[in-house]
Amino acid sequence: MTRETLEVDVLIVGGGPAGLSAAIRLAQLQQQEGGDPLSIAVLEKARDAGAHMLSGAVLDPSTLRDLIPDFAERGAPLAAPVERDRVYFLAQSSSYRLPIIPPPLRNHGNYIISLNAFVRWLAGQAEGQGIDFFGGFAGQTVLTDGGRVIGVRTGDRGIDKYGQPKPTFEPGVDITAKVTIFCDGVRGNLTKELLRTFQLARGRQPEQFALGIKELWDVPAGRLEPGTVIHSLGYPLRQDEFGGGFIYAMPEGRVSLGFVVGLDYKDPLLDPHMAFNRFKQHPLVARLLEGGQMVRYGAKALPEGGWNTVPQPYLDGALIAGDAGGFLNSMRLKGIHLAMRTGMLAAESAFEAIRAGDTSAASLARYQRKIDASPVRAELYPVRNVHQAFGYGLLAGLAFAGLAVLTRGRWVEDVVHGEPGHERMQTLTGYYGTRLTALTPSNQTAVDRRLTFDKVTGVHYSGAAHDEDQPSHLLVHTDVCSAICGPEYGHPCTRFCPANVYEIVREPAGPRLQINASNCVHCKTCDIMDPYAVITWVPPEGGGGPQYNGM
Amino acid sequence: MILVIAEQRGGELNRATWEALVAAQQLAKRAGVSSMTVAIAGDAAAAAQELAAAGVGEVLTVAHPALVSYAPDGYVAALAQVIQLQSPRFVVLAHTYQARDFVPALATRLNAPLITDATAIAGAADAPTFMRPMFQGKLAAEVKPVGGGPCFVTFQIGAFRADQLQRGGGPSTITPIAVTIDASAIRQAPEEPFQEAARAVDLSQAARIVAVGRGIKSKEQLPVAEALAKALGAEIAASRPICDSGWLPMERQIGSSGQTVAPKLYVALGISGAIQHLVGMKGSRTIVAINKDADAPIFEVADYGIVGDLFEIVPAMVAELEKA
Repeated sequence: MTRETLEVDVLIVGGGPAGLSAAIRLAQLQQQEGGDPLSIAVLEKARDAGAHMLSGAVLDPSTLRDLIPDFAERGAPLAAPVERDRVYFLAQSSSYRLPIIPPPLRNHGNYIISLNAFVRWLAGQAEGQGIDFFGGFAGQTVLTDGGRVIGVRTGDRGIDKYGQPKPTFEPGVDITAKVTIFCDGVRGNLTKELLRTFQLARGRQPEQFALGIKELWDVPAGRLEPGTVIHSLGYPLRQDEFGGGFIYAMPEGRVSLGFVVGLDYKDPLLDPHMAFNRFKQHPLVARLLEGGQMVRYGAKALPEGGWNTVPQPYLDGALIAGDAGGFLNSMRLKGIHLAMRTGMLAAESAFEAIRAGDTSAASLARYQRKIDASPVRAELYPVRNVHQAFGYGLLAGLAFAGLAVLTRGRWVEDVVHGEPGHERMQTLTGYYGTRLTALTPSNQTAVDRRLTFDKVTGVHYSGAAHDEDQPSHLLVHTDVCSAICGPEYGHPCTRFCPANVYEIVREPAGPRLQINASNCVHCKTCDIMDPYAVITWVPPEGGGGPQYNGM
Repeated sequence: MILVIAEQRGGELNRATWEALVAAQQLAKRAGVSSMTVAIAGDAAAAAQELAAAGVGEVLTVAHPALVSYAPDGYVAALAQVIQLQSPRFVVLAHTYQARDFVPALATRLNAPLITDATAIAGAADAPTFMRPMFQGKLAAEVKPVGGGPCFVTFQIGAFRADQLQRGGGPSTITPIAVTIDASAIRQAPEEPFQEAARAVDLSQAARIVAVGRGIKSKEQLPVAEALAKALGAEIAASRPICDSGWLPMERQIGSSGQTVAPKLYVALGISGAIQHLVGMKGSRTIVAINKDADAPIFEVADYGIVGDLFEIVPAMVAELEKA
């Protein structure tokens, strides 16, 4: 089999805020500094730029201002400036509005955006600078030469579900580069491979994640002033569960709302999507949505661990930026500006290293120094312990958050939080003892198909589609699944997956795990939260996935 | 004048053409257009006769050696000439795979507007507008054609009912139209259809469908549904879990990742009615649902619903049908 190869100077894997900011910054440097023109390529698994992008989202425009100062004239799609913040503590049927907005949640000067519209615009800016954007191509594996990263191999196309080539078969392409910048997002499959192969997380705290589930609604006029940002704590989560709700009001009655659940909960029967439905059923939210229509659905994992969990982001021939590297401020609930900033810094580092003719790890270590001298560290370091403190419960977390603000993070010792979130999940007997009666979600709530929907309906509104005739892109160690995880944890994948990918089908021959791979919205939760870590997410054939629009 | 472009394959008329004709008749009424013409390209004498017999308007046959087998370049070249000759106000087609393939190029060639996948005609008299789904059917956009030239409209399959066609008093005339096609300008050389395609069942052409869902419980129980399909003269189809389990081939899957159908009769056996399935069959004329769960969403679209055990009800239905 002959494989096509493509040689570029800089390969950027992932066309999100980090990857596109890197591409734009490289083009700018090229223009400013002159010299041999660099060839730059961006790989993106979504067919259209932005189609796999989902976020709340409130954008801190600080990086955008540095990257594209005339963003307003260039028509950046910023839906509404934030006019007012509200924070509520929710109990089952009542709510308490905090009289003072905690400083990290003050959004004056920020903008409510649709991330996928914003990224589509960024891609346009990048293409205007002559960047090659390869939509519909996923990075399948990292290409290495000894200890050096030399590029990425894209996925084969046209393989049937039994792994045999179809008439449309096309082998993946090897793209080699002097520097590869990995911006493959939260739990990116290639970054995961890098962390393991090159032990880049050695000596760091374990990564921490959360799952965000979001819907876009059209609500009757006058419900919520555009520019209103609402956050909630408390119900429907319990004291030892991390997370909360968000509601962002955009013009023309469009509302973005969602719910975030920390992927470190103990109850094996918790269902994050049910928590989202319960959030919508709370009178505060239900009143707002009454008579409205859900128009979009989606989900995404978030890297919540913060500064102490960021891996070494440079190695021979490669850099890591954005969510892939865990650059997100979980206390401010913001990561887009940090993704863009690390993308810019990665671009500057790659540019300087290539011009100096040395793209070794020693040379690319300049990226770490740039990060340390940048607003990224200034923002992340003081709050480095806050998420971990929530591991001790909501009150401890809030107390630590307050402390972090007061002391600007000058505590002597770091809070030790030694375990990855999925290891905190308890077994059925461990959590329930002998009280357990049924394997239904512990937070089960009815679906009325007006306010609350089942996951399959959500999948429809995510636009998720994959070629059906291809191998499953979710690799599951089914022996562990049926023999160990099922009896011990009651198949938690069927609950934590927000897209009904995992289903236990009861058949005369016994229960069987059915993987509805084409439902997948690429949120990566299964790869993160499976208690035995026996689920591996690999990219499906390029172009497959959700089709977010306005999310 | 409204020009309808009929579709044929191997001389056989595509059933969706009748729906396009109904849409065109309703458009004519709305737009105050009095005459209608039907064009059919390729080697299609019998199909042209069939169209003429309906008496809805003059049938133009466009035959040329380069049109014997379908290639988008050939169709674009030939039909552009027909349209320029006729200068219709609207050009109407069914939103088939073939239309999706060549109509954008044809509209571009004529610098004319194109509205695709329309489901309804709205707007004031003389200023028709077209409804088309957005957000996968959650919203409907009302599209108003602006600019000159003929406006191309393709209509979603199942949006209009073929049996609402108003037939004319007598057969229409058939007029051959000569076109010139530069064979060397045809860049596509059609090959044999893919093996998959050759084997595929086109459920969108079936008049009756019996579809099974997870309520059928196991592959061994499929004959229960097959007996009903046989008694009704229906095609068998399925919701996604059945095809995922390999109990029926994927080509029989109805829904957003399978086929979209609009038969006269759709019998849903043990199908709960996830929205992914509903979007593939809700245009059916009569929907009969049998399900144990009275709250199943399938009953929201069903014309007739039976809450009960399909293994009791279906054999009873088969017995009654066999008596008749």
